[in-house]
Amino acid sequence: MRRRHNLHLHNLRLHIDIPFGYHLRYLSCGLGGKHFLRVSIERILRATGWALLVAVLVGGGGAAVAAPVEAPNFPSAAERIFASVPQRLLQIRTLVVGAGEPTSTGSGFLVGADGLAITNYHVVSQAALEPNNYRLEYAAADGGHGEVRLLAIDLPNDLAVVGLDKRDAPFFTFDDAAVEGSVPKGERLYSMGNPLDLGFTINEGTYNGLVERSYSERIHFTGALNPGMSGGPTVNAEGEVVGVNVAKRLGGELVSFLVPARFAAALLQRVRDHETEPPQDFRAEIGRQLGAWQASLYKSFGEDGFRSVALGPYQAPETAARWFDCSAQTNASVIPKPRASVDSMNCRSASGLFIANDLNTGLIQLSHSYIRAVGLNQFQFANFLTQQSQSRLIGGGAYRKWYTPQRCHEDFVATAASPDRPALRVVWCAQPYREFAGLYDVAVTAVTEDHGSEALVSRLGLQAVGYDDAVALSKRFLEAVRSAK
Amino acid sequence: MIWVEVLSRHRDVTARLRCDGPVVHIGRGYENDVVLDDPYVAANHVTVFRDDAGRLIAADSGSVNGMFLDRDDTRQERIVIDGERPIRIGQTLIRIREASHAVERERIGRPESRALPVVLAAALGIAVLGIDALSVWLAEIGEPRASNYLTPLLGIAVMVVAWVSIWALLSRIYSGRARFARNLLIALSALLGFLIYNQAARFSAFALTSRTAVNYEYVALWSIVAVACFFHLREVGRSRLKLKAAVVTSLLLLVIGVQTLQRSETFYEYGQQNTIRPLMPPALRLAPVRDERAFFSEIERLKTALDGDRMQARSKDAGQ
Repeated sequence: MRRRHNLHLHNLRLHIDIPFGYHLRYLSCGLGGKHFLRVSIERILRATGWALLVAVLVGGGGAAVAAPVEAPNFPSAAERIFASVPQRLLQIRTLVVGAGEPTSTGSGFLVGADGLAITNYHVVSQAALEPNNYRLEYAAADGGHGEVRLLAIDLPNDLAVVGLDKRDAPFFTFDDAAVEGSVPKGERLYSMGNPLDLGFTINEGTYNGLVERSYSERIHFTGALNPGMSGGPTVNAEGEVVGVNVAKRLGGELVSFLVPARFAAALLQRVRDHETEPPQDFRAEIGRQLGAWQASLYKSFGEDGFRSVALGPYQAPETAARWFDCSAQTNASVIPKPRASVDSMNCRSASGLFIANDLNTGLIQLSHSYIRAVGLNQFQFANFLTQQSQSRLIGGGAYRKWYTPQRCHEDFVATAASPDRPALRVVWCAQPYREFAGLYDVAVTAVTEDHGSEALVSRLGLQAVGYDDAVALSKRFLEAVRSAK
Repeated sequence: MIWVEVLSRHRDVTARLRCDGPVVHIGRGYENDVVLDDPYVAANHVTVFRDDAGRLIAADSGSVNGMFLDRDDTRQERIVIDGERPIRIGQTLIRIREASHAVERERIGRPESRALPVVLAAALGIAVLGIDALSVWLAEIGEPRASNYLTPLLGIAVMVVAWVSIWALLSRIYSGRARFARNLLIALSALLGFLIYNQAARFSAFALTSRTAVNYEYVALWSIVAVACFFHLREVGRSRLKLKAAVVTSLLLLVIGVQTLQRSETFYEYGQQNTIRPLMPPALRLAPVRDERAFFSEIERLKTALDGDRMQARSKDAGQ
């Protein structure tokens, strides 16, 4: 079962999603004490859980509208850029209506003289989901502050457009090269925000292209992003926005992610064109965007299809989609020598989607373990398999708030009357989302039943999937389990 | 000759006095034939004599508290004695019988084998420990260790001895005989019954893909405990068996009710049954292998139930 850990740093939140059972160890490696530079692939992949940084860039001094400042006296580009931003760099605060103090903070930046600003969806998610309990405020780097209205969200890209009562102030423009996707690797970028609510900062980093193996398009930014900087702009030397700060990888150094500027520009355009009126109920809008997003996620997953990998005498389906992180493990070198050998592979999609502080979803997991008895009799081996095959539902959030009861069906299943298709013991479990009609978390576990002392344990976990997609995908998955004998 | 018997609250005879005269005086005073140390009994409470018809009559000799027939609350001045129903005076029960009172036939004494219960108990004990040791062995998937066997086996032995000792003590207190061997037989039979149920439930969960027996294992466990308790109580005393059965049954229903409630609340809290799905060697499968289409049509049916749960939860949310 996946566990979620929330680290509360000051009043800023850091969410870490960790796959299947390895939590604390990974956390302690990732965060505390000294860590070695040599890490196993497995550990890197475990760290795939993304961390969201809630941060704000200080909106600062009044530079002229979007124009790079003429700055003969500034010794560095960072100094020149920072001197120009105080009025347009913002901290976005989420306040508890009944208490009047911020519960979390992030960053944001003005993008027009009409008072529109960009931030991350996850910075404003509490206010979007519970407008009666939370409200938004901004504090600019020049000391100005005021109310914030939520106008539009882009859930898949973790973006939001908000409206400020700040007219005719200087604002940021987007880098055309970034919108077109033609920024060269190695270009120096400057990231701004209000990390840990300590004050507005600017820091340098480099553009390193798009993150490979990510379902959503994200810029790989090598630079320090910290909680509180989410939603802040990352700009080029001319002060034009290349991306929006969004997350960093725990367990690495300076490995940070930006939402490409073109998504922000597109969302902004939709608001300006009045294509999207501010919804009355953002919860319904969130449900609609999640539904559309998962439909294309599972369409893409299905279209990429499965390819076969060999585990012992079995052939097992592995995804052909490129946006998965896969790793393998063995217990061969464990001491005392195990009485059953376990060779397993695990693939986890890089498609996690932030919905709320207590709900991340959109994860696909797929794993196989080839287990062979070394010194166990058939009953002992069956007991070992029992341990290895318990269904782990990969729920992404708190049960009572986000789900309704789980139901399972189990049986012996033959996918075809053919000698290379072993009979399977299948447990098929689904749990509906309380709020999002037609979406379910589904976990399928299959154990081959063709041999008393060796078996393949296969699992497929699908978060926020439509029922028909889940049935079709699990059918294909089960059909692809074969025996070479 | 008249016999006066003083009875305990449980109707056991605590004293039996032979009176040779035609009239018997009963009371607290020392001039009586039968002296009772009950402060609620008058100095001269009852006189027993024969009337003209030759019947034995008990008559109140003018006490304050009166004379009653057994549990009856109507004060009696005269009672015709039948030798069966006791007379209540003060807080004392007495029964009066004549020398001619007919007694039951003697019970036929079976030649009691002392060895039989011991042999039976030993056999059951070996079966219980054997099944337990076997299940430990079959579940042993790490390094073999002697303590894996010794700890649970010793634990079971100590528990059984403690349980049986308590019942034997109660039995000794209330019926005068400990009947350790019989209590041991009862406890071991119950334990064996449960172990067999447990294995059968696991087997059916795998081989028949039926989780019913596993889900209701707690019901079986408490029922077996209740039956064992009833038989232990029967050893303690054979009187009022219906009352004992009723008490045990109502306790059983209470325990099952509480546990069912607790399980349903846990499910409500977490939304999933936290149950192990045991696997066994493929050769033990009894249920047929289902065709893939049949399996997935079951999965389609599951959707109706899931959506029903959701609708119900949503309408509840809306009502709040």
